[in-house]
Amino acid sequence: MAVATTAIPATDTHRSVAAVASPQRVLYVIWALFWLIMVMVAVTEEWKDASIRWWEPLLWEGSSCFVASVWMLLQRRTKQRYSQYLDQPLRWFGAHVRWLPLIIVTFIGSIYAIRHGVYALTAERYEHWPWLYVFIYEAFKVVLFTGLWLGIIFGFDSFDQWQAQRRHLLELQKTLAEAQLSQLKAQLRPHFFFNALNTISALMHVDVERADRLLARLGDLLRASLQSNDQELTSLREELRTLELFAQVMQERFADRVSLTWNIDPRTLDRKIPVMLLQPLLENAFKHGVERSVGHVGITVGASLEGKDLVVAIGNTGSTLAADYRDGVGLGNCRERLNVIYGGAAKLEMISHPKGVTANVTLPESAA
Amino acid sequence: MMRVLIADDESPARDKLHRWLSEQGDVEVVSRAEDGLQAAAAIERLRPDVAFLDIQMPGLNGLEVAAQLEQDTAPLIVFVTAFDEHAVKAFDLNAVDYLLKPYDKDRLLRSLTRVRDRLGNADLRASAVTTARGQTNSSERLLVPEGERLQLIDSSSIDWLEADDNYVHVHTANRVYMLRRTLQDLLAQLGEQRFVRIHKSAAVSISAISSFTPLFKGDYEVLLRSGRTLRLSRRYKDALFARMGR
Repeated sequence: MAVATTAIPATDTHRSVAAVASPQRVLYVIWALFWLIMVMVAVTEEWKDASIRWWEPLLWEGSSCFVASVWMLLQRRTKQRYSQYLDQPLRWFGAHVRWLPLIIVTFIGSIYAIRHGVYALTAERYEHWPWLYVFIYEAFKVVLFTGLWLGIIFGFDSFDQWQAQRRHLLELQKTLAEAQLSQLKAQLRPHFFFNALNTISALMHVDVERADRLLARLGDLLRASLQSNDQELTSLREELRTLELFAQVMQERFADRVSLTWNIDPRTLDRKIPVMLLQPLLENAFKHGVERSVGHVGITVGASLEGKDLVVAIGNTGSTLAADYRDGVGLGNCRERLNVIYGGAAKLEMISHPKGVTANVTLPESAA
Repeated sequence: MMRVLIADDESPARDKLHRWLSEQGDVEVVSRAEDGLQAAAAIERLRPDVAFLDIQMPGLNGLEVAAQLEQDTAPLIVFVTAFDEHAVKAFDLNAVDYLLKPYDKDRLLRSLTRVRDRLGNADLRASAVTTARGQTNSSERLLVPEGERLQLIDSSSIDWLEADDNYVHVHTANRVYMLRRTLQDLLAQLGEQRFVRIHKSAAVSISAISSFTPLFKGDYEVLLRSGRTLRLSRRYKDALFARMGR
């Protein structure tokens, strides 16, 4: 335990330690040690008694160990089913204790069947106390040890889950920080920034209102990206607001060459979406559609519901995906975040069609 | 009168430059190009004295446009850029004129003063083209006229180049393009690695050569893979054979 705890702060070290000593493995080692002690105690206890042969205590404890281990393995196999109750200890223990009557009956039945069987093979009789006494005595032992081991298992599994949650949280924070950083970089990307400033300086002489508006938009956009936001998810409404600021600045620069269409289903506005997921996609549409192609370019931002999934599509005309297309840094980050937040339930596809390219994001109703 | 071309893909940026240039008594804006190909075509057609080329343009960027121009006849180029660290370093190194966006009127006027001083200096005009060639892969592609328009062809598709007065005929497997350039300038752009002179008015792509046949007086006949035969003058024979490793 101590090893694992000290290893938590650094995820990498933690992983390497986990490979050597996963909680599961430690649990099995303790289980083996426990039975080793039980066997040794039994053997030394009966040592002086000449009427008991050396293999008899081994058989008694061995049969108990075998049947108990079968139950232990069964519990380990099905632990996923109960892991959801780990933060409600009473429910967790309750769900396990329900099995107790069956455990008691099978345990006692099996160990005595084994013992009688082995004794019969040596042509001897296994003598023990009357059945009622045996049953009460063994049942008491089963309850005691099951309780003890449930406690230990609960401890291990809780620790395991806590670690997993912590790891997940760290990953979430990491990808959010990366997204924020890359968005900030995009906003402060020299080309974007200086070009916008130049557009303002050009507009000032002919259309003060428009120049003023563009200056305000640029300010809003910088403010939005400088705001530190610790929330991983935001509403689509909020996300679209920032997206619109960016689009407005770009549209002022290329007013004569680009047209923007927003197709937003109002039912999607309150759906949750990872913060700043969409901006890199819109940036790509401008970068590949407008800045690299001659002539008019149409950019479409659409949001709709497909069943329970939220589908956001950002497309541009005027460019197609190259045959050897590979994700850029921005898109790679988007994919990684979706993976961390939705655990594979979300999709990001780049679709090439005769008119252009569309980035399609499909998000399930809730995060993993 | 100073005849000026403006090339920028953003209309507010074009307007701004146009307005301030028009205020100058000695400047006439002869063309406003919206992308690189338009700019190159307008320079070819109108032969302006000065070209303000935005670097970030679709199709062919400003540096690529400059790289495709003939050094001796190119206009004086002023590059305009929002941000391009590498190019700006190269401009500084070679004393090439440039304007950084956003610029104010003072900055532009200072730049115009420099332009007026330099207009007559052919070396300074050429240095912008040379610098641009160093910043782009101008040896890989060649801008050629295709009917009314311009288009880029891969240099690897060129078999040989034939000088003819003020023009160069660019021979590919199935086409001949006519460029108003000198052979020497074209070779400087395309690089001496791929092409080699065979006589005063012809150069051939090394990979297009099939074989040689000796003629009288030390001259040779060069057979191209396309089946065409050309004359190799003895003046260039040694250099060519050295290049071919014979």
